[in-house]
Amino acid sequence: MKDCDRDRRRLLRLLAAAPVAAAVVGAARAADAGALPGPPPSPRSAPSRAVVARGRRDGLLDGSGAIDRARLDDLLGAAVARAAAAATPVAAMKRLFRPADVVGLKVNALAGGGPAPAPALVGRLCDWLQEAGVPARNIVVFDRTDRELTGAGFTINRGPAGVRCFGTNQEYDWTPREWGPGGSCFAKILVDDITALINVGALKDHDLAGVSVGLKNWYGVIHNPNKHHDEGCQPFIPHLAAYPLIGDRLRLTVIDGIRAQCHGGPARNPRWIWPWQGVIASTDPVAVDAVGWAMIEARRREVGLPSLAESKREPRYIAAAESIGLGVADMKKIAIEEI
Amino acid sequence: MDAARREVLRALMASGCAAGLGGVATLGNLGAPRPAFAQDEAVGPALAAPGAGDLPLTPARWWKALDEGRVECGLCPKKCRVADLERGACGVRENRGGRYYTLVHSRPCSLNLDPIEKKPLYHVLPGTASLSLATPGCNFQCRFCQNWEIAQARPEQVPTFVLTPVQAAALAVQRRAPTIACTYTEPVVYAEYVHDIAVAARKANVRTVMVSNGAIMEEPLDDLIGVLAAVKIDLKAYTEKFYKEVCGGELKPVLDTLRRLKKKGMWIEIVVLVIPTLNDGEAEARGLARFVRDDLGPEVPVHFTRFHPAYRIQNLPRTPVTTLERARDIAMAEGLQFVYVGNVAGHPGNHTWCPVCGELLIRRVGLAVTDIRITAGRCPKCRRAIPGIWS
Repeated sequence: MKDCDRDRRRLLRLLAAAPVAAAVVGAARAADAGALPGPPPSPRSAPSRAVVARGRRDGLLDGSGAIDRARLDDLLGAAVARAAAAATPVAAMKRLFRPADVVGLKVNALAGGGPAPAPALVGRLCDWLQEAGVPARNIVVFDRTDRELTGAGFTINRGPAGVRCFGTNQEYDWTPREWGPGGSCFAKILVDDITALINVGALKDHDLAGVSVGLKNWYGVIHNPNKHHDEGCQPFIPHLAAYPLIGDRLRLTVIDGIRAQCHGGPARNPRWIWPWQGVIASTDPVAVDAVGWAMIEARRREVGLPSLAESKREPRYIAAAESIGLGVADMKKIAIEEI
Repeated sequence: MDAARREVLRALMASGCAAGLGGVATLGNLGAPRPAFAQDEAVGPALAAPGAGDLPLTPARWWKALDEGRVECGLCPKKCRVADLERGACGVRENRGGRYYTLVHSRPCSLNLDPIEKKPLYHVLPGTASLSLATPGCNFQCRFCQNWEIAQARPEQVPTFVLTPVQAAALAVQRRAPTIACTYTEPVVYAEYVHDIAVAARKANVRTVMVSNGAIMEEPLDDLIGVLAAVKIDLKAYTEKFYKEVCGGELKPVLDTLRRLKKKGMWIEIVVLVIPTLNDGEAEARGLARFVRDDLGPEVPVHFTRFHPAYRIQNLPRTPVTTLERARDIAMAEGLQFVYVGNVAGHPGNHTWCPVCGELLIRRVGLAVTDIRITAGRCPKCRRAIPGIWS
């Protein structure tokens, strides 16, 4: 090898390393100033108003506790349509999704049997998506584990046909991602496949967060939810929901309030379940939680429980979510359209 | 530097258990797939697929019942209040119907035969192998976690296998390992398993050591002190700010643990992973050294080790060796007698020197011990007693 060749290669190596060194120095300076690694939350402009569609029907649950499908269709369809300012639920789905989308419906199946999304409710959402042109194979109902899903009455389908339904189990994209105050690996299906999301939550008390309505549901897409429970899950819940994998893809939030729970959550606790027999829907993920929180507080008063604030479990994350532009938390700015 | 590299390679070739820098497969049971993090020799049975089957439920110790079926964990200072079907911050202890369970007892995800220098425990049976194991989970969330694939995971997310405490003890005997090390992740979160291993190992004349962050409550700590031989504590930094912002923990309970370990006569060594710009200040090194000197004693070994980018801190460089040397100089100037530089193969700060006459007592190259001159626990030259477990 000629000496000049060796020198040339050495020079090229040095030149290639220079920007890296500069970046390292830059990062070190940032850390010196007290900034830990990690991107800031996505800047958003908070909406000034939100619409939340809400309704209930006596008789939605029959005497045996089964769901009246016709009443559910009527109620859920009206709520979804109203949430998207459309005439019908199918028109709503057309407005929110494109046929090429891979739509993930993240359900919160922890409290199987309620308070948790009923398979019948989720099934109707899938029907309307298909009627709106989204192929069945492009629809994925998912939660953390197969066990939780089957416990809530869902049928696992990893097969080649029909709407897919499965737990993400251990299937994570093992690349840690910074999402503001937290860092996690995300469910692989969310990283690799899904392009649009429907959040299908429950209406229930949560021992740590205060309530679990819509936003808390996103803890089910990260590998380390247990690392983000301090301080009432604040500021973790809003920042996770704002992370682009979620925040940029979420089109609709639907809350199953057929069986709601005002205390003792997030697991099922029959003592505190009440058959509200209703649903809530909105394209504003924060407004849904604000409305749900108010409903849980009202129920707590009815049954003589202290408020969540008195219990030192006020869901502060809802106002925080508004403060980073995720949606509307102020009830004065939320138009509740009763169905 | 080339000379040092050559010396490392020579030592590796000469050492039967110095697989840490290259991997040497000499023991049986090697058909098992190795987890991605495994750094040394895998010696365990076949790993189960992640999430395969239900996790075992073993009643947890150190907790109390609360109202509404909730429990309060009494294992670590986080004192997690856990509702039904939820888990503590560690991710490996779960409330099922108002009773608390550990999901990882007898379910390690990692099992290797390491040099004990890798823990590092430089003053415990140098040059011997330690059967090293871990279950998933940790009660901290260090952004720089070097084993995050298992420490920051839930047990259903990583492959595990069954290894009872009695089996672990028998395996250590079979592999002629005088110690079992509970390490890699955070043994505190699998404290029941650590305890039971140590009890079984003691019956087989095997010692058990623990590599921990020290975030543990008094009661479980005392239970472990009764059965362990040595503990290495990762002192992540010497500021509450660092603990809170970088580790999701607290400094004070760790200092309390160190004091208690010392008071109870446990052999302890301390590791400080020095991370550029985050915990590498001179004042911090000095404060830490003074704490060790005044509260634990100048004979407690302290290892300043080199950071490599990992997990959520990828944007900082490896620690300059000069930074480690400066921390070592400060600690020695404050009166500490056994201060080491770690993760820098071939550095003179790897060796053990007599604090009185300066004689070289233990020579290390990487993780291999190439010379031990301590005789009957004393310096061969000046006869000064050298603290540690030597036989």
